[in-house]
Amino acid sequence: MVTSHDRVDFIVIGSGASGAAATWKLAQGGFKVLCLEQGPWVDHSTHPTNKANWEELSRTKWHYHPNVRKGPSDYYVNDDDSDVKVLMYNALGGSTIHWTGHVPRFHPSDFRVKTLDGVADDWPISYWDLEKFYDENDELMGCSGIHGDPANPDRSPRQMAPVPLGHDGERVARAFDRLGWHWWPSDSHINSEPYRGRPACNNCGPLGYGCSLKAKAMTDVTYLPEAMEHGAEVRANATVYNIATGADGRVTGVNYYDADGGEHWQPANAVIVGCNGIGTPRMLLHAASDSHPTGLANSSGLVGKNLMFHVYAGATGIFPKGEPTYRGPLANIIMSQEFYETDLSRGFVRGYTFQMGRGMGPASTAVGGVSWGSNHHREFDERFGNVNGLGVIGEDLPLESNRVTLDPEIRDRWGIPAPRVHYKLDENSKRMLAHGVKQARTALLEAGAVRVFENQHNVNAGWHLMGTARMGDNPKRSVVDGYGQAHDADNLFIVDGSVFVTGAGVNPTPTIQAIALRTADYIIRERTDLKS
Amino acid sequence: MPTAEGQLTNSDRRNMKVVMDRLVPPVDDLPGAGSMGLLDEVERMAEEHDRYRVSLVRFLDALSMDMSVEAEGGFLALEGEQQDEALKEIESSIAKEFANVLEVVYLAYYSRPEVHRRIGWRSGPLQPLGFTLPPFDESILDTVRKREPFWRQAPD
Ligand SMILES: Cc1cc2nc3c(=O)[nH]c(=O)nc-3n(C[C@H](O)[C@H](O)[C@H](O)COP(=O)(O)OP(=O)(O)OC[C@H]3O[C@@H](n4cnc5c(N)ncnc54)[C@H](O)[C@@H]3O)c2cc1C
Repeated sequence: MVTSHDRVDFIVIGSGASGAAATWKLAQGGFKVLCLEQGPWVDHSTHPTNKANWEELSRTKWHYHPNVRKGPSDYYVNDDDSDVKVLMYNALGGSTIHWTGHVPRFHPSDFRVKTLDGVADDWPISYWDLEKFYDENDELMGCSGIHGDPANPDRSPRQMAPVPLGHDGERVARAFDRLGWHWWPSDSHINSEPYRGRPACNNCGPLGYGCSLKAKAMTDVTYLPEAMEHGAEVRANATVYNIATGADGRVTGVNYYDADGGEHWQPANAVIVGCNGIGTPRMLLHAASDSHPTGLANSSGLVGKNLMFHVYAGATGIFPKGEPTYRGPLANIIMSQEFYETDLSRGFVRGYTFQMGRGMGPASTAVGGVSWGSNHHREFDERFGNVNGLGVIGEDLPLESNRVTLDPEIRDRWGIPAPRVHYKLDENSKRMLAHGVKQARTALLEAGAVRVFENQHNVNAGWHLMGTARMGDNPKRSVVDGYGQAHDADNLFIVDGSVFVTGAGVNPTPTIQAIALRTADYIIRERTDLKS
Repeated sequence: MPTAEGQLTNSDRRNMKVVMDRLVPPVDDLPGAGSMGLLDEVERMAEEHDRYRVSLVRFLDALSMDMSVEAEGGFLALEGEQQDEALKEIESSIAKEFANVLEVVYLAYYSRPEVHRRIGWRSGPLQPLGFTLPPFDESILDTVRKREPFWRQAPD
C-alpha cells in the first residue's frame, strides 16, 4: 500500500550542504518545504571523537568510502573504473558530517575559464553574482578566518578569528614568506569561539570523522534546526526512488521508501535535488519516463557527464621532534594560492591551491605508510607527531568521458541501480600535480623538514563531486540554467555540485551552498507561482 | 587454514601470533604485537568487519600454502629472517589483503595504553579534553599583508 501525503510547495531531496541551505532559505521565504533525507539523524555523542577506539571507527563504520562503511543508508558506488575513489556520507547533514570545513571561495577567473584561458566553458554566472550568498552562508555556518587575503577579492570580516595556526602552521607560513610565496590562514567553518549556540573547537584533531562537540559546522546543527524553526519539515530515513513527471514533462512529486520499506507518494509544486554530484545524476537517470525518455531533464544528454573531482597530490615532511603536530584541526591551518591562476610557462593550464595538513593519531600514522618489521619502531618514532603535509588541490577540467552512469547489475536494497563512475586523470592534471608536488617539497624543506615523501596522486580523494548536471544558457549544452532550474522542467531545480561548469582549484562547498542560496533567493523573488 | 566460516584454527592462531611479532617487533620494555596478546582483538575486528575477515582468511591461506614455507616445516619452524622473507612474498602476491591484515594489527597495537605511554599519546577519547593551542596571532601576517592583491580580473 502506498501512503499519500498532503501537497507541499517544495520537496528538497538531500539534507547535506546544498539541500539544507535551500531548505532553510525557502522556509524563511514562507514556502512550505519538506526535506527528504535517506539517512537518519546521527547522534553526535556517537561520533568517533567521543570514543576511545576512534581510529578503528575511522577505518570501518566511519570510513569515508560508502562501500567500506556500508551504513544502512549508504548506497554502493561502483568506482572500479575510476582513477579516483568516491567519498561521501549519507545521513542528516550529508557529507558535512565528514567534511573538514575548509572553505576557500572560487576566484572571479574561475567563472570565465573559456574567455580567459580558452578551455572548458564559462559559467552563466559570475563571482559577483554569488558574493552576497557566500556571505550569507558564512553567517549561517559561521566562518573563522580573516579578511585581507591578497590572492582573493576582499571580503567582509569573518564571523570569528582564524582557528589557531599552531607552531607548525606558523613554521610553514614563515617558509612561504621566505620563499616570497603567498599564504593565508584558512577560512574554516569551524568555530574558533562560541557561535550561534555552538561551542569553540578544542583542537582535538581529526575532524573528518564527525564532531561530537558540534564546533564544526555540519548542516544538521546549522541550517536544518534553523529551517525547522521557520516551519520546514525534515523527514529522515526517506529514500526517494522516483521523481514523477506529468505528460507535460513537469514534476508532480516524488515516491520514496521509509526505513521499513513502506512506500510513500509525496506531491509537490516543485522539487529541488541536492543529492551531490553522484547521487543527483543517479536520481535523474533513474527517473526516466515517457516525457523524459533518457532520464529526467536529460534532453541535452549531459546528465552524468563532465564529472569533476579535483585532482589531489601532495608531499609530507618529517620535522625534527618538537611540539606534536597532531594538535589542532587536521586541515584548517593555512593555504597558499601562489600557483592558482594560469601561467602557461608552468606547462599546464589553470592551477591549484596548497592546503596544509597535520599529523594523525598513532594507528593512522602507522597505517599511513610506516613499514612493518625491524624498521617499524624507528620509522614510527620519526613520524609520529612530527609530520606536516601540503596537499595539492588541482582543477580538473570537464570531460564528457568522465561520467556517472547507472550500473546495469548492482542495485541497492531498494532496487535502485548503483551509480557507476568512469573517470580518468587527463594529461593537464598530471602535469599540474607533478608541478604541485615539486613545489610542496620545496616549501616543506624550506620549513625545516628533514625528509619529504611525495604522493604523486591521491586516489582516495573523491570528496568533491561536481559537474554532472552542469548549468548554462544553452539547453543543448547544459542541464540547468544559471539559477539551477532545469531547462526541461521549470519546476525542477538542482542545487548541488552537479551544476558546476568547472571545478576551480579549491574545496567546493561554500560555492555549492552559495549557489543553493541563490537558487532559493530566485525562487522566492521570481517563482511565487510555486507557492500554494 | 581458517574454516569456511572464517574461524581461525589453533594452528592459525599460533602462526598469527608469531606473524604479529614479526610485523610489530618488541621495543623497549614492550613485547611484540603477538606476544602482547592482541590476537583476540584482531579476531574481534575481523569478525566485525568483512574487509578484515576476508583478508585475514586469504592471508592465512597464503601462509599455509606457501610452498617454500611448507618445505621448511611450516612458518613456525623458520628463522626470524626467513619468516620475514615469507611474509614479504605474501605481501607482494596479495598486496591488498596483506595491507588489510597489517592495518588491523596496527589498529590493535596502537590502541594499547602501554604503547600510548611509550609514544607519549594520551589514551581514551579525544573529547572532551581536546588540546590547547595558543590563539591566532595576527602579527604572523605582517609579511604577506605587504603583497598587492594579485587575483586575476575577469569580465563580468
Ligand atoms: C571526508 C570529507 C572531507 C571534506 N572536506 C571538505 C572541506 O574541507 N571543504 C569543502 O568545501 N568540502 C569538503 N568536503 C566535500 C563536502 O562535504 C561536499 O562538497 C558537500 O557536502 C556536498 O554537499 P551536497 O549537498 O552536494 O551533498 P552531500 O552533502 O553529500 O548530501 C547529499 C545528501 O543527499 C542524500 N541523498 C542522496 N540520495 C538520496 C535519495 N535517493 N533520497 C533521499 N536522500 C538522498 C544523501 O543521503 C546525503 O545526505 C569533504 C567531503 C568529505 C567526504
